[in-house]
Amino acid sequence: MTGRFPLPGPGRIAWAALAILFFCLPLMGLPPNRVGLLNHIGLYAVLALSLNVILGQAGMFHMGHAAFFAVGAYATAILNTVCGWSILATLPVAGAAAGLFAALVAAPIIHLRGDYLLLVTIGIVEIVRIFLINDPFGLTGGANGLINIARPVILGFKITRPPHFFYLIWGFAAVSMLLFHWLENSRFGRALNFIREDTVAAEGVGVDTARYKLMAFVIGAVWAGFAGTLYASYMRTISPGSFSFWESVVLFMIVILGGSGNQKGVLAGAFLVVGLPEVFRFLKDSRLMFFGAALVLMMIFRPQGLFPPRRRTYAPPPEAS
Amino acid sequence: MIILSLNNLTKSFGGLVAVAGVSFEVERGDVMGLIGPNGAGKTTVFNLITGASRPDDGHIFFDGRRLERLKPHRIVHLGLARTFQTIRLFPRLSVLENVLSGAHCRMKSSIISSLLRLPAQRREEKAALGRAMAELRFVGLDGLWRAEAGSLSYGDQRRLEIARALASEPKLIVLDEPAGGMNERETLELRDLVARIRAKDITVILIEHDMSFVMEVCNKIVVMENGAVIARGSPDSVRRDQRVVEAYLGADED
Repeated sequence: MTGRFPLPGPGRIAWAALAILFFCLPLMGLPPNRVGLLNHIGLYAVLALSLNVILGQAGMFHMGHAAFFAVGAYATAILNTVCGWSILATLPVAGAAAGLFAALVAAPIIHLRGDYLLLVTIGIVEIVRIFLINDPFGLTGGANGLINIARPVILGFKITRPPHFFYLIWGFAAVSMLLFHWLENSRFGRALNFIREDTVAAEGVGVDTARYKLMAFVIGAVWAGFAGTLYASYMRTISPGSFSFWESVVLFMIVILGGSGNQKGVLAGAFLVVGLPEVFRFLKDSRLMFFGAALVLMMIFRPQGLFPPRRRTYAPPPEAS
Repeated sequence: MIILSLNNLTKSFGGLVAVAGVSFEVERGDVMGLIGPNGAGKTTVFNLITGASRPDDGHIFFDGRRLERLKPHRIVHLGLARTFQTIRLFPRLSVLENVLSGAHCRMKSSIISSLLRLPAQRREEKAALGRAMAELRFVGLDGLWRAEAGSLSYGDQRRLEIARALASEPKLIVLDEPAGGMNERETLELRDLVARIRAKDITVILIEHDMSFVMEVCNKIVVMENGAVIARGSPDSVRRDQRVVEAYLGADED
């Protein structure tokens, strides 16, 4: 936030160049299966960025993010296949449904600290998964899930092939990063950091800690719901298996490994945690062993994550400079 | 005009009665000192006033409102700010952000306007930065606005806590041992700071062990012992009070 039009430094230019190069990848003849992998990483990135608000910014150990993702995906799938809504029209509803669900389940547990919250959020993700398997009101299709979900149509253009989805998913990720960056640099973002640093002190200086914790959950869940819409229309088939506890662990790992509180770090974490095991697929079953070893080494030598959280910058007030 | 009144306040922890029927009043413009030996219940009284704990019995009236069922952030919002006995800054955040935490409750931008960085949010943010810098200048820390709060000296951290409390635009500020751990020069500066806070029409209550400091800055003193008020009045009258002398020096057994 150094003025409205900051002069870009070399770091900024390098990141911009990297971003432009990345967005050109599908045009440069990248094979479809590789584009598919990037799409997958993009979905995880959006989810991890939304988890970052809760885990990275507010410091709440939440390991049930797949539950909110599931609510969004099923909201889209049901509205599309049963009610015949277009995918785009289901997006706000999926976000709202996930946000409402988060408000309901988080309200009674928001005061729990650290590992206690962690345990309850693990419970939530399991409850949702089992609920979906039980096919309530014949809506969720049980263990088989829902099929024949439509493709999104934007301004008359039907998004079908992996490169199309690449631009949809990564465009959404880019917009999310911008909005979350703004949110981070506001009284809301600061309030979450005060809560993370010292909840008692935050309450004592006038921050409504219970409300802001809940809001962090709701914002994170709304975005996970949006990601659910993208996922449902990308896969065309969803089932409870896609929203397991393991998915929550992966998201948790992305945020912690990347650098909780730092969006660039979270992005790097998504590439690392989702991308690397695929790249090393030729190692067959032993790849998970290498992956595990990498995690352990990471936690020993760089526990703060790839990109540790950065301090906010403020425009120097004229009187002070 | 009475700004704060405690009415028969009682609080016990398990079997220990920490505060037993404490009543006193604070007038607008006062600098009131709350003194007493260790374990007299002073900090418990502060915690009851600021909402950190709830009284078992009794009432607290502040500016015409009852406080004893309100959460701490609500009390700050009503205009009653505090500092902590054991410094509780956000040590990994910058000096400026620590002061902005106090300004938080006077800001109104919603989550949506923050998410979309609407013009009103940007204006408010700019105004808050200006206010926070003004508070830092007031306590003499404006040159350190970029520094990490945890890197400041002990005395500077105490002053930063005061700046943070002032940023919430309080009518009454509650200082828990503000001179604790300060050297002589810093204590002298603090005396001047308290006088300037009073000049801003902010009422002050403070707990302090440094008697010369208390006698200098306070116009009214309440003395506690074993959870009860044993004396109150001007510094001179309290100094001469027989029970106060006994509480501090020990009673003559004969």
